[in-house]
Amino acid sequence: MDVIFNQYYLQIAIFVFVNAILGVSIYMTLSTGQLSLGNAGFMSIGAYTCAILTVKTGLPVYLAIPIGGIAASFISIIIGFPALRLTGIYLAIATLGFGEVVRVIVLNLTITNGALGISGIPTLGTKIGKVLSSLGLSKGFGGLSAQQTSTLLVLVILVLILAALVFFCTRLNRSRVGRAFAAIKADESAAEAMGINTTYYKLLAFALGALIAGMAGGLSAHLTFFIGPKDFAYNRTVEILTFAVLGGSDLIIGPIVGALLLTLLPELLRSASEYRLMIYGALMVATMAFRPQGLISEETVRFWKRKLGRRIK
Amino acid sequence: MFWQQLVNGLTLGSTYSLVALGYTLIMGVLNILNMAHGEIFMFGAFVGLFLMTYLKVNIFVAMAGAMVAGALLGTLLELLALRPLRRRAVSDLAPLISTIGVSIFLENLALKIFGPQSRAFPSGALSGVQIQLGPIRITLVQIVILGISFCLMFVLRFWLSKTRVGKAIRTTAENIETANLLGINTNKIILLTVALASGLGAVAGVLVGLSFNAVEPTMGLSIGLKGLAVLILGGMGNITGAMLGGLILGIAEVFTVAYGASSYRDAVAFGMIILILFIRPQGLFGSSSRQGGRF
Repeated sequence: MDVIFNQYYLQIAIFVFVNAILGVSIYMTLSTGQLSLGNAGFMSIGAYTCAILTVKTGLPVYLAIPIGGIAASFISIIIGFPALRLTGIYLAIATLGFGEVVRVIVLNLTITNGALGISGIPTLGTKIGKVLSSLGLSKGFGGLSAQQTSTLLVLVILVLILAALVFFCTRLNRSRVGRAFAAIKADESAAEAMGINTTYYKLLAFALGALIAGMAGGLSAHLTFFIGPKDFAYNRTVEILTFAVLGGSDLIIGPIVGALLLTLLPELLRSASEYRLMIYGALMVATMAFRPQGLISEETVRFWKRKLGRRIK
Repeated sequence: MFWQQLVNGLTLGSTYSLVALGYTLIMGVLNILNMAHGEIFMFGAFVGLFLMTYLKVNIFVAMAGAMVAGALLGTLLELLALRPLRRRAVSDLAPLISTIGVSIFLENLALKIFGPQSRAFPSGALSGVQIQLGPIRITLVQIVILGISFCLMFVLRFWLSKTRVGKAIRTTAENIETANLLGINTNKIILLTVALASGLGAVAGVLVGLSFNAVEPTMGLSIGLKGLAVLILGGMGNITGAMLGGLILGIAEVFTVAYGASSYRDAVAFGMIILILFIRPQGLFGSSSRQGGRF
């Protein structure tokens, strides 16, 4: 038991799922063909709102995380109205700029504690641990120590959130809204000519992406005990973007696979840790040169379905 | 005080202009954002620094060396990260991401080779000679920076508008296919443009390294983001825009620091571009007929 469920593996698994949620957030905006590089900014808003609420006002975590997400989403609607008039690279730079402005503001406000960041955020693990011990399970459960049990439960919560998101997105894709998203992605002018209110749907995708990013921010704040402005800088945005790029942004499974690979890869490359980020960069270039649509595209899925289907016959 | 700040702003701004020119050239010809530009800039600064520290060459030779090194890096960038993508039709985002990959690679390569600490130029490089001009005190370093960057900008402008190669670059920027049909070797022209832009970036690296007297592997990112801001401010692919936009940004930043909010200095650039994008998405100097406008 201890070999599989050791703290290190569990921690990595938790990061995989948080990153997967972030991957879904960028998938959301990409599904209307908009490249937003502001996800780290929205994540930052969510994380800080959530952390300030739980640390300073003692609000329970399960309320604070959605509030953080809603705050991020609210801000995204405000900047989205003018920003979504822009397309392509212009939108990318504007949202990148937004992320930088958020970082500088966070760095200068007193409520966010400036460059020192907010520490002493109650982690989900300890919260669950307390609940467990109040249930008389302080010795652990089924051969697992109390700490392992609580980390495992955190993981279960994350899996459930991700599953809910995937379910939501697949349902969304089959709905009127999802079809509108796909139409806008294929050709915005044509979609508008078909009577789709493109501004509304683009804003909706933008706000949904921000909501998910904000909630992921709140979650990550309550997983790591500490948040600082540097956690949500340009590097984070690029990291989130690469999930969608490597995995492919056609299907929701793409960014999730991308997040899985890119979170595991640094751990696997730990023996070559000095060259880790160099390999990472080279990998991005190689992906673009050899498989620009990402690892998983609709064709990949069709191909495997056909292949596996034949084998079943 | 005011005039002094204006000179400081102009000096800072002229380096931003040089950085932004690199972005603009590549944006104009290839229609992509070269996110690795900041890292080439940083490598240029290091090459200049090492030439001056170990080979004891003078500042102008160091800059020429940095320019050559930058151009070489640019050539590699084009051959390894951009050209393979052009062979097949891919989305606009692919080159952007590819250059982000290059930037991550280069930054960590620099951390590995040069170490994370910040280095200073040798003290004899350009001693702190100061010249008093009425109320303004201008250092020799500032004069060199202003001189070199304005020189480069005007040479570039002239070269693009008057020479045969410059004409070929502008044609390629207008439309790659048509340029090809007209018998221009566009691959060569693109290679030349990327190398030139990178060389300019490397010289800007030496200049910025001189003005702050600090060269470190992470300097590429912040200056790269500033360059992007200038690109938007001046209008994409617009050379005059990049020059003036850089100056405007430099002056705005220096005045923000001088008259109040020094900790918001880095927000100025992006606050400005968000504003510009909302009011005038084609940039201050871009033509309104299409987004950007070329050269």
